[in-house]
This record gives sequence, structure tokens and C-alpha cells, in this order.
Amino acid sequence: MLEGLVSQESLSLNSMDMSVLERLKWVQQQQQQLQQVVSQSSNNSPELLQILQFHGSNNDELLQSSFSQFQMLGSGFGPNYNMGFGPPHEAMDECISRTSSCHMEPVDTIEVLLKTGEENRAIALKNKRKPEVKTRGEEKTEKKIKIEAETESSMKGRLNMRNTEASSDTSKETSKGASEIQKLDYIHVRARRGQATDRHSLAERARREKISKKMKYLQDIVPGCNKVTGKAGMLDEIINYVQCLQRQVEFLSMKLAVLNPELELAVEDVSVKQFQAYFTNVVASKQTIMVDVPLFPLDQQGSLDLSAINPNQTTSIEAPSASWETQSQSLYNTSSLGFQY
Amino acid sequence: MVESLFPSIENTSESSRRKKPRISETAEAEIEARRVNEESLKRWKTNRVQQIYACKLVEALRRVRQRSSTTSNNETDKLVSGAAREIRDTADRVLAASARGTTRWSRAILASRVRAKLKKHRKAKKSTGNCKSRKGLTETNRIKLPAVERKLKILGRLVPGCRKVSVPNLLDEATDYIAALEMQVRAMEALAELLTAAAPRTTLTGT
Repeated sequence: MLEGLVSQESLSLNSMDMSVLERLKWVQQQQQQLQQVVSQSSNNSPELLQILQFHGSNNDELLQSSFSQFQMLGSGFGPNYNMGFGPPHEAMDECISRTSSCHMEPVDTIEVLLKTGEENRAIALKNKRKPEVKTRGEEKTEKKIKIEAETESSMKGRLNMRNTEASSDTSKETSKGASEIQKLDYIHVRARRGQATDRHSLAERARREKISKKMKYLQDIVPGCNKVTGKAGMLDEIINYVQCLQRQVEFLSMKLAVLNPELELAVEDVSVKQFQAYFTNVVASKQTIMVDVPLFPLDQQGSLDLSAINPNQTTSIEAPSASWETQSQSLYNTSSLGFQY
Repeated sequence: MVESLFPSIENTSESSRRKKPRISETAEAEIEARRVNEESLKRWKTNRVQQIYACKLVEALRRVRQRSSTTSNNETDKLVSGAAREIRDTADRVLAASARGTTRWSRAILASRVRAKLKKHRKAKKSTGNCKSRKGLTETNRIKLPAVERKLKILGRLVPGCRKVSVPNLLDEATDYIAALEMQVRAMEALAELLTAAAPRTTLTGT
């Protein structure tokens, strides 16, 4: 019975010529059908009646509660509900996406659909300058991407903001109702709680988030950066680390310069596998490099005396070489200092 | 593993050239940035990269010619320092070559050699041309920039070829550069260990 009714409507819907008024009528028909179904079926959901009451109203706060109920509904109703609402949903989806892209609709409607396919989704559409909201009862990682996309693309798409309404729904990323912004051709975004909504500040915020993410990557790779907070401290550590690494490269190149004549002699020994073996040994004890660095005679400054540093760092080579008596023996000594861990 | 190196080239160039619908572009830029970062961290740690670098380094070091010094007093020191500089430059160039031109600093290192040769050429022609004056001028005109920006500039000076690079790109380059430097240090240490272990007596008794 339900399917027969629905199929007619789906046909008319698929033509895509419906005005919003007609769609509203269709929704009201659906409501009536729903009521019939509900009365016929067992007392499955008293919530459904509440939801049907919500249909006519423009009440926003009830939406959130209704969403959670929808999800319950979706699981509760099962196949009966599925078949009835399957086909028109896609059509409604397209119709809805169309209307959401054009803002100024005179009719004020809320159309609620329930899809119980693979995902549980509830779609609420409000046309008077309110964005479209789709809810999903799932992963936070996806939410993260979407909300980031929301902030990024908000300045590019059309902004549809209302602070007061938005604040009740989406506060930061831990919104409990799990409401998300679905990506369409035009993005309707909601501002986060207590934050400015103009394009510039949004762009600024997006840029800042990008930078902070990259700083986090650097924090992971530079040892000892976790203890410092704030960009300045982390940058200090990063600069220090880069300088340390560059100094180490110079020191090692000097060492290799001494050992270079042996390179031709030790041709057979320098095989890749031995290299690999040394690699793993060195890697395992890599963390002690930072501790050993102060032992090197190369290490001059503790704090950043950066005006004296030029990228070539050729001056640093002269200092240690002067402090050694004989080059090879001292090299051996310092190498035993530093490299045997 | 070589395949893991190439996709990074294609992806970064493609994403910059395409004009997509806005939302998907930004979402993809997100994922792209994340992927670039993670990949840059991982690619300098793979065994294959280390092998490539090690072999190339050994070959390049063989070809490095010892610079003969002129003075007799500090002969050994200058010899060592000159050779050390050459070796360091060689190692840097090999490192940059292993990066396969995806990063800015690697391209700068490889290009700097050409630029240095050109500069020597130009210096032979005209004796003037000092960049120091420009630096002094900026020093006197300088108002105290905020600390973070100052440090970003310093970081830009440390990473080769990244002086006038935007902040997020600079951070990306720094990440890759640090990972590459770590690998370079490991390789050179391993090589030095090998050489000292292989022939420990010959040089010591030689001097």
C-alpha cells in the first residue's frame, strides 16, 4: 500500500519540476501516510508522532532532539520503512540540493526525510536563509575533515551564518548531535561558538590552523620539542636542531677527509650490507647524539647567537682543528668520545 | 620504494595546476599536505633511500680530489679543512640529488654550484659588487619584528634556498630538510665507522 502511494509521488518528483509548494504538499501527504502506518503498526515509536508534529513548525531546537530520534527510528523501523522511503529519497535529495543552492525561497518549510540505507542520515531543510544540515551518526575523523573543509571553503562558498542558532548546535568539534555540513556545490557553513564570522577572520583562522599543523609535524621530528610550548620556543628548538645537524655534517666531513685516502684501499670492505648494519646500529643509538653534542669541541654557543652565523659555517672548521695536536690521533680520540655509544 | 618517491612529484605538481570545484580542492589540499608531510618523514628513513645515498656518497667521495695547499706551516690544517669543505659540499649535493628535485632546498643546493661558478666568473671580470652593504642597511632600518617572525627568518636562512618562502612552505621545507640531514648524518657516521674499523692502523702510523 505504501509503496503504491509512494511510487506515484516518486514519479512526479523525478520530473524535477516541482515547486516547493508541491513538495510541501507531498511531505504532508507523507506525514499522513506515516501516521497511518504508525497507527497500523504496533506501538513502535511514540517519538514518530512527536516528529510529525515538528514537521509543520519551524522550530530549530527540536531538530536536534529529533535527529537522535530519527536514528533510533531508522534502526527501529526496519524493512517496512526502507522500502517505502527508498526511491523518493534520492529524488528528494536532488530536489533539496537544488533548493539549497538557490537561497531566496519564499516558502518556509522543513522537510524531514529519513534514509535507512547503509548510513543513518536525517536531512532537514529550511529555506529562509538557513543552511542545510545533514547528520551522520559516525566517525569523528570524517567530521574533522569536513569541518576543516567547512572553515576553508566557507570563504569561498556562500556564507550563511547565524551565530545564535549556530552556537547552540555546533560548538567546536565535539558536537554531540553529530551534525555536519554536507559538501554540496555551495557550502553553507556554521560558525563555531563565539568566533567571528566574516571572511577575513575565517581565512585567517584556516591559515593559522595550517601553520599549527605543520608545526606539529616538526614537533614530532625534532627531539625535545614536546616540552616547550608556544611557537617561539619550538622554533628555537628547531633552529638549534638544524644547526646541530649541520655542525655534525661538517665534523663528519672533516673526519672523512682524513680517512679519504683509505677509501680507495678499503674498496672491498665498503659494501652495502655492512653499511646497513652500521645504519641500524647508529639509528638505535641516535637519540644519544643530542646528549653527546656538547662534548664536541665544535659546540660553541648555548643560546642562539645567530647574528654570527652564516649559512656556510666555514669558520667552525678552523677552531677545532687548532685545538688538536696531531690530526689523526685527536680525531680518533674525539671520535671515540662521540661515536661509541 | 622508488615508486614511493615518484608519486609525490606527480601529486604536488598536479594539485597545484588543477582548477577544481572549491570545496574538493581545499579538502584535497588538506589531505595532500598531510600526505606530503608524512611521506617526507618516512621517505628519508627507508632502506632504499639509505642505500642509494650510501652508494652515491662513496662514489662521489672517491672522485673528490685532494686540494693541495700552498703554505707549509698550516699545511695539514688547511688541507683538512679544504678537503672537509669539499666533502661536505659533495655530501650535500648527493643528498640533494637523492631528493629528486621535489623539494626547494634540494634544488637550491644543486643550483648553487652553478651559481657559484658563475659568480667566480663574474668576479674575475669586475672586482666590485658587494652584498654586505645591503645587509648593513637593513640592519639599521630594522624595527624589532615579533619574535616568531624573526625566528622564521633565521630558519629560512638555515635551510638552503628558503629565504623568501612563505611560512607554511618554509615549515614543510624545514621538515624535509631535517629528515634528510638526519639521514646524511647517519650515512656519514656509518661510513666513517667502516673506514676506521677497516684500516685503523695505516693512517695513524703514517703520520
